[in-house]
Amino acid sequence: MSELRLAWRNVGRNPRRTALTVAATVFAVLLVVDFTALTRGVHEKMIEDSVRLRSGHAMLAAPGYLAERSLDHFLELDSAMIARLDAVPEVEGWAPRVVGFALVSQDVTSQGVALLGVDPRRESSVTSLPSRVVDGRFLSADAERGAREIVLGKRLAERIGARVGDRVLVYGVAYTLESAYELFTVVGLAQLPDARLERTLAVVAMADLQDFLAFGDRVSEVALLARSADRTEPLRQALVSSLDGLVPAPMVHPWPEVMPDLEQILILDDAGLYIMLAILVVVVGFGILNTILMAVLERQRELGVMLALGLRPSAIFRVVFLESILLAGLGLVLGLGLAIPIGLWMEAHPIVMGEQLAGLSEFMGMEPVITSNLAFSTVWKSALVILVVATVASLYPALKAGRANPVDALRSL
Amino acid sequence: MLLRLAWRNLWRNPRRTAIVLAAVAIGIAGSLLSMAVNYGMVDQMVRTAIETELGHIQIHAVGWEDDPKLERMLADGGRAAEHVLASGPELRASTRRVRVDGLAISARGSAGVAVMGVEPDREPAVSVLRDALLDGEWFGQSRLRAVIGQALADQLEVDVGDKIAVSVQDALGELTGGGFRVAGTFRTSSSDFDRSTVLLRLAEAQQLLALGGAVTEVVAVARDDDEIDALAQRAVKSLGGTAEVRTWSELQPLLLYMVQTFDMMAWYLYAAVFIAMAFGIANVLLMSVHERTREIGMLRAMGMRRGQVIVLVVLESLLVTIVGVVSGLGIGFAGALALRDGIDLSAFAEGLASYGVAPRIAPVLRPSDLLIPLVVAGITAGLASWWPAIRATRYRPAEALRRS
Repeated sequence: MSELRLAWRNVGRNPRRTALTVAATVFAVLLVVDFTALTRGVHEKMIEDSVRLRSGHAMLAAPGYLAERSLDHFLELDSAMIARLDAVPEVEGWAPRVVGFALVSQDVTSQGVALLGVDPRRESSVTSLPSRVVDGRFLSADAERGAREIVLGKRLAERIGARVGDRVLVYGVAYTLESAYELFTVVGLAQLPDARLERTLAVVAMADLQDFLAFGDRVSEVALLARSADRTEPLRQALVSSLDGLVPAPMVHPWPEVMPDLEQILILDDAGLYIMLAILVVVVGFGILNTILMAVLERQRELGVMLALGLRPSAIFRVVFLESILLAGLGLVLGLGLAIPIGLWMEAHPIVMGEQLAGLSEFMGMEPVITSNLAFSTVWKSALVILVVATVASLYPALKAGRANPVDALRSL
Repeated sequence: MLLRLAWRNLWRNPRRTAIVLAAVAIGIAGSLLSMAVNYGMVDQMVRTAIETELGHIQIHAVGWEDDPKLERMLADGGRAAEHVLASGPELRASTRRVRVDGLAISARGSAGVAVMGVEPDREPAVSVLRDALLDGEWFGQSRLRAVIGQALADQLEVDVGDKIAVSVQDALGELTGGGFRVAGTFRTSSSDFDRSTVLLRLAEAQQLLALGGAVTEVVAVARDDDEIDALAQRAVKSLGGTAEVRTWSELQPLLLYMVQTFDMMAWYLYAAVFIAMAFGIANVLLMSVHERTREIGMLRAMGMRRGQVIVLVVLESLLVTIVGVVSGLGIGFAGALALRDGIDLSAFAEGLASYGVAPRIAPVLRPSDLLIPLVVAGITAGLASWWPAIRATRYRPAEALRRS
């Protein structure tokens, strides 16, 4: 206890020096906490955008489908499987799809598209596709089989010059490898955060697509929604055990398997952030080291006296160590006192990107809004890092102080 | 004189100065290296786009950019455009292409693709596509051959020698198709491109599309990056309103945004690191000024002016910062040099390829990497020395001397 008091007093001895060191620490804490929160927010948004746009948190598909995405790999969505899907409480929503490729054309311009056949009644339980229609409407839920409605990405429609109400020619290759063409009526245009997808996505009723492709009642994939992104793994486990025994057993792929590119980009981006923050923390760590070292060197005489009076070197070591921790702790408390309110404020006030950054976000396939996300784990991990750095920085000065030679120190009096 | 004094003062307490120098050097070296890797990544992204399909400059028929229809063609087969491009010294190579969306069909599946008609003998001077061949050959001798992306070949489950059908809508609006044998497959750094590209011979593509001799675009590369604008300007001047001349950054503004965003990021990164350093520098100067109270008093008593004391402290700050920055840059450059063969990121290959980046990233150093740290360091050193300098001038000579 007396060691703590001693350390505290030492910290207060040179208020200017303490203030500068604490200010540096506050600055580092602020950047570490709020930048991590910002990046976390961006990443969660990227995941959520992709998940709610197309893939779901997980995907059910036949073995081999994910690698090739061809009509050769399909599921039979029979009543037994539907019953099992409905029986798993972790499944928040599920939607079957048929996926094909086709050329869509109007007059003389044609464009290759990914033709997505969805169940209009079920789709909104997984993705936000239905609500992304900005012109016209989504596929009607109670249209008859054969109504042949189609929703086009807005950019795709602009490209081929199609408007709501127009009829477009869809030309593709059926499951039987015969060519198939059919006229579809454009009922709506969808705006998507991913520009590439918006140029190449056309959505039709699953039943119509099954007929078009002569695919019978087969489906390509079932998109699954978990209660949240971090419930993906429990969902996978619950489904695997629930589907056990079905022959052939479908595979359950969590979103990182469906979109490995997205996961890798997020990991790389995280790595970049951590490297930058590490540089910053190391620089601040050197500042702490210098402050403590100076404080020790100035007090050589005093430390010598204390040793001569019988204080053990280990006690001196502890005092110096405590000084460093107190210094960093002070910076940490003040830093968090600033960083947490700022982080929460940023969470409540999403940043809408300017024109230039909006272009970048289009490139990354996300909406141009940055919502920060301050997690408790970010706060305690940042605190831990700062304290560890302070500890490491105190080692050299503390060892030096403990080794002060009482005789030399007193002689220099 | 003051400079020598400042330099000597720094080394009075070598340990202290060494720690500050180490902090500055590590901060600079780390920032320099991480920015160099970032630039390396962006650089690759741009290069991939340019070397696969963009080229430096593309010339299209008027209105093509807004509405890329098959009607909007260079009816003269791009002859006028190529003539203009070749009339100056900036051009390295040019070629002509036809481009249209279509469907590739095999016995096992189908995929939406971009069908590109290229001149087999001239294309390799403009793009890397022939160098990116993975399997088979570059068209070869026989007629009706196609070269396709390896990812597309996987999706269609075809190998070299297999047949695919290409379905397109021709210039008359008719759906038409043709059979082609796969002569070779390529793999570039862009997974998007590999998944969706079928290359045909220009003449065969023109025939398939009933285009006659017309082409979609003339693609050109300049001898040097600096000459792109000059080349484009000459083309604009000569071709006037008869064609659309676009540079790669106009065709892909997002890539340019990316480059600019990284430029901006560099400033922020350096600013953040330097602010953190400024506290440390100010701290050391403050201590050293405080220790020298008596000495500074003596100097003042001997006739040193207040301004000179300020200059002395500012010089000490500048010296320690600049020595730190220069050694940091040295370490950073050495690190970049050591990594010049690239950092192997093949574990992230798919993610990188979706942005057109190869899994081996070599750091790229740019002139601004020298400039930004020095500018920011100068500002920081000035700011950090302000408080200690003012304090140093406040000592009244008489009092300071008495304090001994």
